[in-house]
Amino acid sequence: MHNDDNSRRDFLRGGVALAGGSMLRFTVPGIAALAQAACSAKDESKAFAILTSSEAREFEAIAARILPTTATPGAREAGVIWFFDQTFGTFNAGNLQFARSGLADFQAAVDGSTLFSDLDETTQDAHLKTQDQTPFFNMIWFMTLTGFFGMSKYGGNRNDIGWKLLDVDPTQHAYQSPFGYYDAEYMKEHASE
Amino acid sequence: MSDSPRFNTREAVDFVIVGSGSAGGIIAKELSTAGFDVVVLEQGPYRKAAEFTHDEVDVIFNDSLLGGGPKVSGQTFRDDASKVAQEPFRTPAEYAQTVGGSSVHFTANFWRLRESDFKEKSVWGAIEGTNFADWPITYDELEPYYTKVDWEIGVSGAPGPFDSYRSKPFPMPPMEINSSGVLMEKAAKSLGLHAQVEPLAILTRAHNGRTPCIKCGYCMFFGCEVGAKSSTLASMIPLAEASGHCEIRPECAVFRLETGANGKISEVLYYDPDGNEQSQKAKAVIVCANGAETSRLLLLSDNPRHPDGLSNSSGFVGRNLMFNSHAASSGLFEHQLNEYKGVQVTRVIHDFYEADPGRGFYGGGGIDARAFLSATPVLHAITSLPAGTPRWGAQFKDTIGRSMTRTMSLATGSTSLAQDSNNITLDPTHTDQWGRPAIRVTYKDHPDDLAMATFLQDRSMELLEAAGAEQSWRWPVNPQTGGNHLLGTCRMGNDPGTSVVDRYHRSHEIKNLFICDGSSMVTSGRGQPTMTIMALAFRAAEHIGKAAAAGDI
Repeated sequence: MHNDDNSRRDFLRGGVALAGGSMLRFTVPGIAALAQAACSAKDESKAFAILTSSEAREFEAIAARILPTTATPGAREAGVIWFFDQTFGTFNAGNLQFARSGLADFQAAVDGSTLFSDLDETTQDAHLKTQDQTPFFNMIWFMTLTGFFGMSKYGGNRNDIGWKLLDVDPTQHAYQSPFGYYDAEYMKEHASE
Repeated sequence: MSDSPRFNTREAVDFVIVGSGSAGGIIAKELSTAGFDVVVLEQGPYRKAAEFTHDEVDVIFNDSLLGGGPKVSGQTFRDDASKVAQEPFRTPAEYAQTVGGSSVHFTANFWRLRESDFKEKSVWGAIEGTNFADWPITYDELEPYYTKVDWEIGVSGAPGPFDSYRSKPFPMPPMEINSSGVLMEKAAKSLGLHAQVEPLAILTRAHNGRTPCIKCGYCMFFGCEVGAKSSTLASMIPLAEASGHCEIRPECAVFRLETGANGKISEVLYYDPDGNEQSQKAKAVIVCANGAETSRLLLLSDNPRHPDGLSNSSGFVGRNLMFNSHAASSGLFEHQLNEYKGVQVTRVIHDFYEADPGRGFYGGGGIDARAFLSATPVLHAITSLPAGTPRWGAQFKDTIGRSMTRTMSLATGSTSLAQDSNNITLDPTHTDQWGRPAIRVTYKDHPDDLAMATFLQDRSMELLEAAGAEQSWRWPVNPQTGGNHLLGTCRMGNDPGTSVVDRYHRSHEIKNLFICDGSSMVTSGRGQPTMTIMALAFRAAEHIGKAAAAGDI
């Protein structure tokens, strides 16, 4: 008795609600961007199932400013765009039209006929600051994080890049105490008593 | 499964149990092993331990264990009866749909109530505008069943300084302390408070043929892949099926209890996995579907003799919904805690459990230290960053990376007052995927409930500072728009005018109808109700079995 249309919508609604329930945060100016790494959207454009290569390039460019490439890999290297493509073709299909129309509005707000992906990163960040409270941005933000930190079977988090950033490994199913610094210290203290 | 019988739907079985969760699973085991023929109708699928995963996208964002989320359930929410209820983002009445029910995905924190919980109105006095009441039973009466839960379900722990008495020790030692537990102990000591071991429905050693916890870290929201979490799926259902007297029918959604000419329930109508209407005849019915589903089913089963729903002459079916109140605050620490490993909670503070007139409002609760939403990667990234973190960009990313293993949260659980205005009713326009009128939740926390949650959060912030947090922050205490503790909606009581079932969970009005789940609770307790639901279930099963054996049904 599973209703695919409904669960697709739920995917995003639930995530946005969870994010909205978190503590209040204040947006401060982004950090100056580092050089872009190779664009996976261009490299593998033929493999997209749902997105056009130009759509993929723009979505990926936005995702890459949300989780940029720094000393560690970002959304681009983690293949977040493949999460977009895969889930827009499955349980997230109900949001594809909204994403496409949102992207059109997002692009329209960029000066002139330049694509967001063609702007330099400083200009990209300046533009994103004018757009980061919109429902479209919220959706891209949520999908970027889910693609970056979710299981790689959904297309993103390639080479466990997301989990390596966190220093965790959810594929490991068993641990032993001590787990962290404070309980390790506690065990040492109590062992010497 | 091989011993599990298949009963003829046209021949009345001794009992049909609606729901296989914390109460239904236990009652099924108790009655079937006593020799009664039992059919359990569960609307969720029959997942086994090996099918549970660490897949956040599937479990948390696609609501796979919850049956698909609010659009599928059609549930609606409003905070006041004068408003038209709306479709919410998150399911207002949240529960697992799977064999074992919410005992499969709960966090396994496992508090008993205390003596005071059962007679609190007598001690505190009436609270105007509420249905605050004493229970019809006492702690003494329930204690043997709490102990039965400890030993049969499998509970690890150690006694705390404020606990009510227990007739037998815990069957196994507590979980090893984790880093949040260590920090909680340190902070409590410096503030003159008492951090005690958190009792958990999680095995620390092999018990009743089950394996102990492997510390994977995926307790909250997820099913346990080794069956160490003491769900009824892991602990009770296998025994029920092995009795040869219990048939579990998964993916069967009950939509009506049919009443015969003699005034008793005669059969249970449900949709089978193909969506076809079926009926199971029964000598007696036990509804254990949770405080939301149980209420809906009774309201759906109205007939000329019961125009307002079954067992609802008092009007108390669906009323007095209590979610427990909650607050959370978090801290960032210098070193790694790695709370993604192990169980959520190893230490809790119960210094504020008892209501204190000196606070100026009614209420009580506990504070526990835990990973909370930083236990899993996606949830951490989207919900749990320190206040002031940019929402995107390099600093955002760096903060996510540094904070997951260094965050500790203090979660509070506290009282909810029973109110007429907080209730479950049938939504007049929405339906669920089976076509049943949807559950409509109307709820607004009582001012005392919010005051107590805020009080505990204030104490939590003091604890975080005392624990040495580099930074601490709190999540706003707002009126709740949903919950997963679904309590009080078919309360037990001696007075048929103000309760739905008697002290043994039998309907005041229909002799062969029994109700046992969170809906039976008269007060909310302090925030971890599953232990009490399970103890009530063992007690109810004993009395129901005796009544059946004596022909008194």
